[in-house]
Amino acid sequence: MSDTYMLEATGLTRRYGGFAALNNVSFKLRQGEIRGLIGSNGAGKSTCMDVLTGRGRNQQGTVCLNGQDISRLSERERRAVGLSRSFQKTNIFPELGIRQQVQLAARKAEFDNTEEVLAELSLTAIADRTASDVSYGDQRRVDLALALVGKPKLLLLDEPAAGLTIEESLAMARHLRNLAERWKLTILLVEHDMEVIFAICDRLTVLHLGEVLTEGLPDEVRANPEVIRAYLGSTFA
Amino acid sequence: MSNLSMAAAAPKVRTSTTPPVLVVVGIAVALVGFVLPWLGLPRNILSLLTSASMTAILATGVGFLVRQAGFSSFGHAAFYGGAAYLLVLMSVYTGLSGEAVVLLAPVIATLAAFALSFILLRTQGVAFSMLSLAIAQALFELMMRWRDLANGEDGLRMRLPREIFGLKLSFFQKADTMFLVSWSALIIIIVGLVLLSRSHFGTLTLAIKNNEERARFIGFRTLMPRAAIIALSGLIASIGGTLFALYNGYITPGLLHWSLSGEALIIAIIGGTRSVWGPALGAFLFVILRDFAGNYTTHWQSIVGLVLIAVVILLPSGASGAVSSLVNRIRGGRDV
Repeated sequence: MSDTYMLEATGLTRRYGGFAALNNVSFKLRQGEIRGLIGSNGAGKSTCMDVLTGRGRNQQGTVCLNGQDISRLSERERRAVGLSRSFQKTNIFPELGIRQQVQLAARKAEFDNTEEVLAELSLTAIADRTASDVSYGDQRRVDLALALVGKPKLLLLDEPAAGLTIEESLAMARHLRNLAERWKLTILLVEHDMEVIFAICDRLTVLHLGEVLTEGLPDEVRANPEVIRAYLGSTFA
Repeated sequence: MSNLSMAAAAPKVRTSTTPPVLVVVGIAVALVGFVLPWLGLPRNILSLLTSASMTAILATGVGFLVRQAGFSSFGHAAFYGGAAYLLVLMSVYTGLSGEAVVLLAPVIATLAAFALSFILLRTQGVAFSMLSLAIAQALFELMMRWRDLANGEDGLRMRLPREIFGLKLSFFQKADTMFLVSWSALIIIIVGLVLLSRSHFGTLTLAIKNNEERARFIGFRTLMPRAAIIALSGLIASIGGTLFALYNGYITPGLLHWSLSGEALIIAIIGGTRSVWGPALGAFLFVILRDFAGNYTTHWQSIVGLVLIAVVILLPSGASGAVSSLVNRIRGGRDV
């Protein structure tokens, strides 16, 4: 892991009327780090992902990617500077072929590594099929392929294991870890599956009621009484 | 490679390209069209086919908008009738040459479609349909009430020179020759749209139709491609309207009425919008059905309505989907 920061989120605040979905949230990701963003439902994880990617504008605070302030950039412009994301709900192009849509995404990336991404995600054999015709698990991987193509600097994954079996989730987690090391990816991962989180994350940030509850190594977080009380319970402690 | 254990189902053979058999059938149909005027068909049949070709052009524009952008327009009469009105009004009120009038009419209508697209794109779904209908109806009312300009519901006759584009004006007003012109235009439009739909622009617009948000998240602008599709669809409709005005030499506000837009949408549904050529097929089926039913009853619309219900229930991909399935079955069951 590098000493330089790939992502610096400072004082992120997002309010809906009187409700603060995010309140002064700050954290930093080093280059090559896999960071888990965890918390109970309503903690602000998805809002945080939206603010980081430009889907929802932050009302206060700044987002810097590799030292560049991208707070005022649109989601399209953030993709252009190397920030990519997958979605909690499968977000693909159902009428397009799998290869066709990954190639489309590659056109706006720095370079076209479509075939490499398809092979990495075991999609080559079904690449000429229409996305709506493949299984849910395959569609999740297509979603991931759209985010991975072009080797983005920072990859934000919103519950990539949602809807997968335990075996599939762990296989995906191992593969992500492996891929991040080989491609030198920096990943921010939102995930409810703690097996996945503890299997691949270098550090964890815990959100609670829109604020950062704590941050640290997985073992430190696992042992933190506040985290156990607010989120983990006794199962993972 | 991948350690992923998520097993992929056995790939189902599916091709996204048009099968050669269908291309051959398409070329054969196009060629048959070009020899029709020499087959000695009765004048009323040729006239019917000429009208059907122009309606097919309008329906192709409406269908392409559905196919490529997911918008159901109830206002394409604004571009069809608008171009027809522009041609006739310019021929009456300006000193422009016949050629300029014929070329400018669809160009101006297309520019109007492009400008209107930025208002239309602020809406979606039913709101888009209603707004497009409102725009066309506003134009209809304008032409109905502004008698000094367009003679209201009595309509207006075109005043073009006796010769345009080196051809006598009567060339464009006889069924046999005008059928060739409108058939050629239809074929060029369909081939152009097929090529466009296979280009990067076609893939991008289909992607935006599927999932606009994701298209933005993979780095694409989404407003201009959708505006371009609306403008292109308007251009196609306006070509149909221009040919109509040339052929008939006379226009009435009925060309701007919402019922014409609705008819074009019904035709596109009957023909099927999954393929570029489906709405054109639907237009010929519709015109033939209307003529046939009109011989037996003045309530031919009810027969058209029953056919529409049957198509929606029995052929969700329209007549073109049925043709594709039939071709595939003959070829051995490949799914297109």
